[in-house]
This record gives sequence, structure tokens and C-alpha cells, in this order.
Amino acid sequence: MSRGLKGLVEKVLSQGLCTSCGACLSLCPYLRSWQGRVVKVHDCSLEDGRCFAYCPRTEFNFDGIEKKGVHQPYQHAEIGSFRRVLMARAKDSTWRERAQSGGTVSALIDFAIRKKVIDAAILTLRDGDSSPKGQIVMDREDILNHAGSSYVSGPTLEALHRGPWEGEEKIGVVGLPCQVQAVSKMRASTLEKKTPIDKIRLMIGLFCTWALEDEPFRDFLKKRIGNWPALKLEITPPPERLLKIHTTGGLYIVPVDEIRPFIRKGCEVCSDMTAELADISAGTVEGIDGWNTVIVRSDQGEKLFKEAEAEGIIESQPLPMEHLNHLKEASLFKKERAVKNFRNIE
Amino acid sequence: MRSIAQNTPGKVVLLMGNEAIARGALEAGVKVCAGYPGNPSSEIIGSLAEVANELGLHVEWSINEKVALEIAAGASFSGLRSLCAMKQNGLNVASDFLLNLNLTGCKAGLVIVVADDPAGISSSNEEDSRLFAKIGDLPLLEPAHFQEAKEMAREGFSISEALGLPVLIRSVTRVSHARGNVTLGELPHSNPKPAFDLAQPRLAFPPLPNHKVLHEKFKKARTMFETSSFNVYRGPEKPEVTIITSGSGYLYSCEAVFNLNAKERVGILKMGTTWPLPEEFLLKHLRRSDQFLFIEEVDPFLENNVKEVFAQHCMELGVKRFFGKANQMIPDVGELTPEIVTSALQALLAIPYTPGPEAYNRTASEALAEVVPPRALSFCAGCPHRATYWAIKTALALDGREGIVLGDIGCYSLGVGASGFFQMKTLHAMGSGVGLACGLGQLDRFGLDQPVIALCGDSTFYHAAMPALANATYNSANFLLLLLDNSATAMTGFQPHPGTGTTATGSPAPILDLQTLCQSLGAKVEVVDPFDIEGTIAAILKMVRMVKGVKALIFKRECALVSGRRQKKNYQVEIDPERCLGDSCGCNRLCTRVFKCPGLRWDPKKKKAQIDEAICNGCGVCVEICPASAIRREAQ
Repeated sequence: MSRGLKGLVEKVLSQGLCTSCGACLSLCPYLRSWQGRVVKVHDCSLEDGRCFAYCPRTEFNFDGIEKKGVHQPYQHAEIGSFRRVLMARAKDSTWRERAQSGGTVSALIDFAIRKKVIDAAILTLRDGDSSPKGQIVMDREDILNHAGSSYVSGPTLEALHRGPWEGEEKIGVVGLPCQVQAVSKMRASTLEKKTPIDKIRLMIGLFCTWALEDEPFRDFLKKRIGNWPALKLEITPPPERLLKIHTTGGLYIVPVDEIRPFIRKGCEVCSDMTAELADISAGTVEGIDGWNTVIVRSDQGEKLFKEAEAEGIIESQPLPMEHLNHLKEASLFKKERAVKNFRNIE
Repeated sequence: MRSIAQNTPGKVVLLMGNEAIARGALEAGVKVCAGYPGNPSSEIIGSLAEVANELGLHVEWSINEKVALEIAAGASFSGLRSLCAMKQNGLNVASDFLLNLNLTGCKAGLVIVVADDPAGISSSNEEDSRLFAKIGDLPLLEPAHFQEAKEMAREGFSISEALGLPVLIRSVTRVSHARGNVTLGELPHSNPKPAFDLAQPRLAFPPLPNHKVLHEKFKKARTMFETSSFNVYRGPEKPEVTIITSGSGYLYSCEAVFNLNAKERVGILKMGTTWPLPEEFLLKHLRRSDQFLFIEEVDPFLENNVKEVFAQHCMELGVKRFFGKANQMIPDVGELTPEIVTSALQALLAIPYTPGPEAYNRTASEALAEVVPPRALSFCAGCPHRATYWAIKTALALDGREGIVLGDIGCYSLGVGASGFFQMKTLHAMGSGVGLACGLGQLDRFGLDQPVIALCGDSTFYHAAMPALANATYNSANFLLLLLDNSATAMTGFQPHPGTGTTATGSPAPILDLQTLCQSLGAKVEVVDPFDIEGTIAAILKMVRMVKGVKALIFKRECALVSGRRQKKNYQVEIDPERCLGDSCGCNRLCTRVFKCPGLRWDPKKKKAQIDEAICNGCGVCVEICPASAIRREAQ
């Protein structure tokens, strides 16, 4: 079997399993992305390729990846390995207003850059009219512009390969679980590294139940809200389950069931809700506005989080037990769904 | 002075078959010549255009063959001898007018030369244009060699005038494109004043009496051909086998008889007037033998028509055996060769024959392989079409809806193969991609969800695509037209056309601007430079995603060979051996394996890509292709 582009097409692209994480892009001229889709433009005959090796939808071994991906053995538990789970939010309300929930991720990235833990972060840029894409970000204003969720996956990791890099920057990545998996695979890969994978010092993962196909979702939004630029999207937790679209022309509300047809097929086989290979993972706290659920996983994650708390960037509280149980339940549900769907594909 | 314009009777000059035809027309005092370029006919009008100003002729490249024939007929109606030249496909285009012109007849000599392309070496099809002579009851001549090409062209005008009908001359590639000795005749000095006689209108309607008149002329032609010097028999009084041949088949037959040393046993009946067949002349020769072998290129035209004569007279002639395409003794497709004729004749005569010593043949083919490596058909280095197809391929892949590219015949037909990245999916007559798009562009209502994309060249657009584009607007078809404007009729030798600003004879001409034309025909139009690959990809994507209507995207970039003749390279292109990572790049030799410009070569020793400076035309497009930025260009 080909472990190059041919294999990637066979096992992932032609099966509709691509999550558009961007790990395979800007490595070679054979793959490009457009409107949130990864497209093979030319045939490549190489038997081994980084495109195949880095893809989160080709073979994946959590145990084999632990040494390079996370700093403790991987636990086959509901939400992976972790040191602690808590509720947190940015103290500065600017982050909370612009970002999702408590703004913890944006505030942590800003803090990490200021503390020189990293020099630059790869974030996902979304604006109303174009597809999400990876951007290299180095200052607070830029971080603010990249805050918030779009519920659409885009080729964020392409920015890692594309650069431009000066060469010595320490890099942080904020991404969806599939993107964190891809970065872990890059680090573990034995193929020659031609892009600054070894310069990644921090991975912050975002909780994800599923992501939407960019183009059909954008067409849908255009039909529902017209030409207003969407400022912020949020999905309220069950039982409400509503997509709230904040625009310059007002608030639009759509039941989540209406956007389900745009869920990526590749998300249906994903078993990772909480970005289990990240240094820190973050998501919402169901039922408590303005706070994030935060999972601190690795040594670096713990160090950064502690410093951020100590310097008054972040404030935290214990996560109520029922919330933790619910998080584990949801994560387990995603794993079960993935196993079931994966069998159907096989 | 060009040899076709020399007034030196008796002088022997080396002429290409097409030049010999042009010379014959000059010796007949032709005044008006029109045609549309197409291999293997192009040099007829081409060489006449070169001497037109000097000899005071009107010579033009017309917009298509039908118009060209109408121009020639107009001159003939007014008393000026005229010539019209085209390839086999051209006669299809002109046939509607031709099959009315036969009913009205003509006045001054009108010769229509059709050069067929057996095997379709540079054509979309393989076709025998002689059938049109039969459909139209028109006299048909077939030259067998260069001298005869000239004589027939000259004589054709007299025959045309004697009959009041246009005369068809059918040439083939190996007569038109080979060169041989031709003895020149005299160039006349007549300057007839044209006038259209209003008392003699040229009306095809009413057809019945005109058809009757045509049949009378046809009988007259048959009688006239009974004594034609173009029909010649050479051989014994009672040969075992008589070869009946015409055109290029004649010299192949002579060579076969020579190869087998069989001139005592075989006769060759060369027919120069192949329609209508002179029946009495033919019967005389049918009585000589009991076995006949037909040698002619493309269809069994002569073969079937002779059999028809035989059938009419079989009681008198008795049993005869006929060999040719009908019984598979001669291949029914492709060009003939002396070898094919020799082996057929050898089988009939049971003469052992080896075509040269085997060891010699092997050595020769090995030696040839070293000098001429096997090569795929490819766009020239720096050809804008390569960049165009690269952009088309990328854009359609990104679009992801399996867009269908409907093309036609031209240099850009290489889009069917590796050089055009296999993008073109239909190939028929000139302009047919646009017409097909009118059809496929209606199918969305039935559920077709693939984008429809038509593709044609600039000369083709004027020739045959404008009516289709007007139709698209009128009937609300949905498609994108990709109009490849390289400012030349490149495939046939860079002839000018209505968009180039010059005429066949080099006079300045108004430019019929493609953008304005497309707009006035109802299309939304944008123009791109295919050398701006990313800009072109974006433009294709944008236009292919516009939902309804007719869109035209014009790819404007001059043919690399045309610009190469006028100016030096745009860029000096170099590959930095430090930056080219070779096989460790991960690009998997994109430039030489996929992009495949002949100006790029893979150095098997250094295992890196290189620029072949002798071939590179300096377009600089490969700079955009290389992912390692190893290719550099410097403006010249």
C-alpha cells in the first residue's frame, strides 16, 4: 500500500474523511486547499510521503506517540491524560468579550508570547467571507482578531509549513483535536522534517464535537443572514442547542439541527473531543457563561498555567464534579460514535 | 524572386507539391485566390500570397472555407479565374455552398484544391474528400506527382470553363508536402475586366431544371475525360495483374513493380480524372487482365467506381477478380507506403521478396533511435497553452465538480494528452466545443451538476465558434468559454487572421477584437495572461462558479514561436543547483515529470533539474511552478 499521496487519496480524501487540518499542505505542490477543501491537483508517485505520515486520519497510535506528543504516558481514559481539570477565565474582560466563553486560550497565548515561552503562535483566521486559514501571530492585537470559534475547520497547520519563518522562532499552536493529533504525528514521524516542527513548544487544543464544511455552511449563512458580516458564532449547550450568530445587523438564531447536514464526514470517525495530546485543552462550561473548562495535561502546560494564574492573567475555580462527569460522558459518547462510524466505513 | 513567380518557361525548378499547384494556377492566369489554412493545404494560398502584390492578384486568408469558396465563385461569376484551397475538413465546411454552386455553375475557371490528410497526421479526422465530387456531380482530378500537380492546376481552369462547373483537385499529404522537379510553363499577361452579367443570374433555385443541366454537364465531362492525357497506362499488352491507381498511389505502384522486377507481368493504369470515370477508356483496360489491384489513399473510391462500371458491363467482360481495400489486401485506414503496395503485389504474383537485408534494417533502426529519441507530442517550450492547461487543471481540481472541457482541433488539441495534462475531453470539428457546450449547458435542468467549459483558439473562434456563442446567449445556455488567444493560426504555420491586424499579403487590417466580439455576442468577458498562473487559476475559478449565463475568459498571450521570431527571450531562466533539491525535494520532479516543458531537463548524473538553454524560450512560467524556488528568471 502506498504511504504517499496515492495512499492519502485512497484512504482519506476519496473517502471524504479529510478534516482540512492543513497538515499535508505547503509541503509539496501536489496538494492545495480551496474553500476549506484539500484537493489533489497532480498525481504523485512517491511511496512515502509526509502528507500521509502527518494526516490525523491515516493510521494513528496514541501509545506510540506519547513520548513525543505529551509528557506523560497516554491514558486510555474518557478525556485522556491530565494533571487537573478546572474552570478558568481571562481576568481582562477584553479577552472575554472577543473570544469564546472565558477567553482563557487567547489570554494564555498572549501571555506565552510575552513570557517568551513562544515567539509566535499559529492561530486560525476567520472572517465572514473567506475560508478559515492558518496565520502566524505575534502580538496582542492579532490574537484578538483571531479569537472566537467559527465551528468550521480550516487548514490552520498549513501556516506551520508555509511560514515565513526566520528560523529560530519557538512556536505555539492552537488547534482542534485533529490538528493537535496531526502535530503529534509530525513530531513522532521518522521522515526528514523540512518545516519547523521541532520548534513547537506549546499546543493548546480546543474541545470539538464536530466541525462544519466551510463552503456549504457559508452559503447557508449567506442565505440566513444576508450580507451582514458575522462577528461571533456560538452554540448554546443542550437542551437549548441553538446557533447564535452575532452580526453588525443584529442577532440571528438558528436551531443546530439545521446546520447538521454541513458536519464533515471526517468528524464522524473522530474519537477525540478534548484534544487529548495537547499541553492544555479548553472548551466551554455547559450552563455557566463566561468560563472555560480547562484541562491541564503536560508539564509545560502546568507551568504556563500556574504562572498565568500567579501573574493575575487567569483566574480559576474547581470544576463541579457533575460538570466533569458530564464532560467525560460526552467525550466517551464521541469515542463510541467514532468506533461505530469507523466500522461502517471499513 | 520566388520561383513560382518566375516567367522562365522551360526552366526546371524544385517545388513543393503545393507550390506546383500554385504555379499551375498562375500559368492559367488566376486572379483571385482564397482559402483557410489547414495541413496539408496551407502552402498553396501561402505561396500565392507571397507573390500576390508582385503579380497583381487578390489573395486572402478567409475566415473559413465556405466564405473562401464564395469569394472564389464571386470572381468566377464576374469573369476572373479563381482558386480556392483547403484541407478535407474545409470542404465539409464549404460543402453547403458547393452543393448549390454545382447547380448554378460558374463562368471563368474555378478550381477548388482539397488536400487530404491520410492517417490524419495533423487533422482531427481521416476523410476522403473525393466523395464530394460524386455527391455534387463535379469533375475531379488527382495529381500523382509534382509536374502533374502543376499541369492539372493549370488545365483545371480550362476544364472548368469548358464545362461551366467548378473543378475539384484532390491532393494528399505526400503530393502536397514533398518536393520535386517541375518544368515551368509560361505566365500569361492578361488583364480581363471583371463584370457580372445581370442577364445571367446564378440561381440554384429552381433546383430541378438546374439539376438536369448539371447532369448534362456531367456527361460532357465524362466524354471529355475519355481522351485526357492525365489517364495513362504503362505495362504489357496482357498483364497478369493491372494496378489501377490514382494520386500518391501511382509512384508507390511504380516502386512496387520495380522492387519485384515485375514489369513484364504487371500493368499500371494511372487515373488522373477520377470522377466522372471515362467509361470507354476504362473498359479498354478492363479487357486486358483478369486481376486488378486498386491502390489509392483513404477510401476505396476508385475501387468502387470501377467495380460499378464493371457491373454494368460484366456480361461482355466475363469473370474478373478485384483486390484492394474491400478484401483487406490493402489496409482500409492510414497512409499507403511502397512496402504496403509491394507486399500486396508480391502476394498476388507469388514472388518472394525481402525488403532489404534484416541485419541492415535492425542496424538502421538502432542508429536512428540514438539520433531521434522517442518523444511524446508536446507543446513547444514556452507555449502559452501549457500554462493555460496548468491553470485549467488546477482550477478544475480545486473546484472539485468534475468540469468538462469541450475542445476542438488546433495546437491546443494536445490538451487531450500529457502535455495538456489530459484536460480536453471532446475533440471534433473546429468550434465544436462551443456548440457542444450549448448542448451540455442546457442539461442542468435534467440534473447535470458538472460545470461545462468550452475551449477554442482565436482563429477557430472567428472560423466557427461565433455562431455557437450567439446561440448560447439566445438560448440561455450556461457555460464558460476559454478562448485561447495566441494571436496566430499557429498549428498551420502562423497565418494571420481577423484578430492579428494584417492580411495574407501583409497589408494592415482592422482588428476584430475578441473581447468586444464576445461581449457583443452576450458573454460576460474577462481577459487573463496565462503566464500569470495564480491569477489565471483565480479567474477560472471565479467564472466557472458564476451560476448562470455565458461567460468567456480570454487567455491572451502570443504564440511563443511568433514572439520568438520578433524579439529575444523575455527572461533568462536558470536553475540554482544549490536550491534544486533533486529527488530529496519531495516535489517528485514536478517540473520535468508533470509540467514537462521541453526547456526543462532532468540531469541523470547530477540528479537535478536543468534548463536546456537551446530550447528554453524564456517564458519564465516554471519559476512559479518550482516549490523550492530553485528556478530563477532575469528579465532581458
